[in-house]
Amino acid sequence: MEKPAPLGYGLGLRPIYYEEILSSRPPIDWFEIISENYMLAGGRPLAMLDRIRADYPVVMHGVSMSLASTDPLNFDYLRQLKTLAERVEPAWISDHVAWTGVHGVTLHDLLPIPYTRESLAHIVERIQRVQDFLKRRLVVENASTYVSFVDSEMSEHEFVREMAERADCLLLLDVNNVFVSSFNHGFDPVAFIDGVPAERVVQFHMAGHTNNETHRVDTHDQPVCDEVWALYEHARRRCGDVSAMIERDDNYPPLAELLDELQNMRDIDARISKERALSAA
Amino acid sequence: MKLADFQSLFQQRVLAGSGEADKPLLKKLRPSPRGAAPETLLDVYQRGYRIRLADFVSQDHPGLRAILGDEAFDALVDDYIDQRPSRNPNARWFTTGLPDFMRENARWRDDVAAVSMALFERAMVDAFDTADETPMTVQALAGFAPEDWARLAFEFDPSLTLLELVAGTIEAYDAAISEEAPEKVDKPAAGGQIEYAAVWRVDHESAFRQLEPDEYVALSEASAGHAFGDICQMTAFQQAGEIAPERLAQCLSSWFEDGMIIGVRVREDDQSSNTPSSA
Repeated sequence: MEKPAPLGYGLGLRPIYYEEILSSRPPIDWFEIISENYMLAGGRPLAMLDRIRADYPVVMHGVSMSLASTDPLNFDYLRQLKTLAERVEPAWISDHVAWTGVHGVTLHDLLPIPYTRESLAHIVERIQRVQDFLKRRLVVENASTYVSFVDSEMSEHEFVREMAERADCLLLLDVNNVFVSSFNHGFDPVAFIDGVPAERVVQFHMAGHTNNETHRVDTHDQPVCDEVWALYEHARRRCGDVSAMIERDDNYPPLAELLDELQNMRDIDARISKERALSAA
Repeated sequence: MKLADFQSLFQQRVLAGSGEADKPLLKKLRPSPRGAAPETLLDVYQRGYRIRLADFVSQDHPGLRAILGDEAFDALVDDYIDQRPSRNPNARWFTTGLPDFMRENARWRDDVAAVSMALFERAMVDAFDTADETPMTVQALAGFAPEDWARLAFEFDPSLTLLELVAGTIEAYDAAISEEAPEKVDKPAAGGQIEYAAVWRVDHESAFRQLEPDEYVALSEASAGHAFGDICQMTAFQQAGEIAPERLAQCLSSWFEDGMIIGVRVREDDQSSNTPSSA
């Protein structure tokens, strides 16, 4: 399995941090953009992106491809995405195992599907068509979900594994999403991570969420919690050198707090490397 | 249940909330291992959808919220979300239909001051991300022979929008976005008085300026491609008051200074054979 080279430790690029990033050049190896926020004719967002792209690797992460929707693929959207990719030259392009709407409506959310043979065949075919159109392998992310369905014929990780292998796509493992969904649906998050094909994982997402006691919601407005850090360590041990990043989309802290979270990743990874070196010696 | 049927049902639950129509969907849900009620879990999606769309409208329309007050603004947003579900995958475009919705909706169309504010704020949002162009300075005129000046025509930045607003809209917007913004801003009186505004982008930020009636007419004509000399002769322009070429020259200078002009050319008598100039 040929994978893009690891990029190191990254951050979701958000407008609130533009000026500080450009003026202080903090220790961030790469940035992930929300593709839709830059699918514009011009203006400040694209100007800032161009400046940051001049100095950093960038990956494009979309939220609207609606890979699991039964509506036709939106080729206007895909054309705009391709145009942006020609400008950004991202290391890769990602989206989700999710749908965002049907009948021409878009709900601006990553909606759940039953994990059935029908859903699997549907999403595999659409990923393949998107990959043909974009002329590159797509990176597909597991989403957080709050409901699960009696019609499901397999577990989420079995679905993701078979989807990736049949579509020959790459994977973005959102460690926080694994934890949130495992809490909400009562599955073992470690088994999920052990069940996805590690050789196809090119990126980790780390983020915070909201704990509502009976369910957890993927809000990206909190620091990464201890349970997700523990799961990160497991994912890192299993998947090896994979580009990792912090997503923060609300309740923005000073940039230094996000840099501390990146440092935490580095420390965990250094510890794992040291253990491996010692056991090999 | 086929995937398409499931998605129709699920989407209906998100758009319309709980009700009798949910029953087939509820039967398809596995029970939560933590004891969360199925309705609570579906509400995560429904509430999230409405909060997200309401946030987009709030971000783009601080002035509208300020003059309507929170209660009326929230009612407007609810109406808009209910009646105009988002159809563009890019959330940026959800709010762009709000002024048209208000003008077409019996509950809101008579509130001309609110519609005026919505139009102004849409222009501000649109200006922010239109295509990039490079503004010219007034020195560009030095490249043209004096005998050509009457035939000069100007190309304007694509972000430029000219608006006819209810008088007081701009003052209310200024108050709403000021650092010490009050919770509620007085709504402009809808007494038939109007004011004119230009909205455009400069240095990556949306900008606006109130225009005198004569400058509004001149800028409208100039942005329609009419030549400097012709604008003075135009009936519409003359109706706006006594117009001297000096006043028009003053306006032109300010358009350059404001970064509105991106091209100058000599307009030929035969309008179809205009030749762009790179002066």
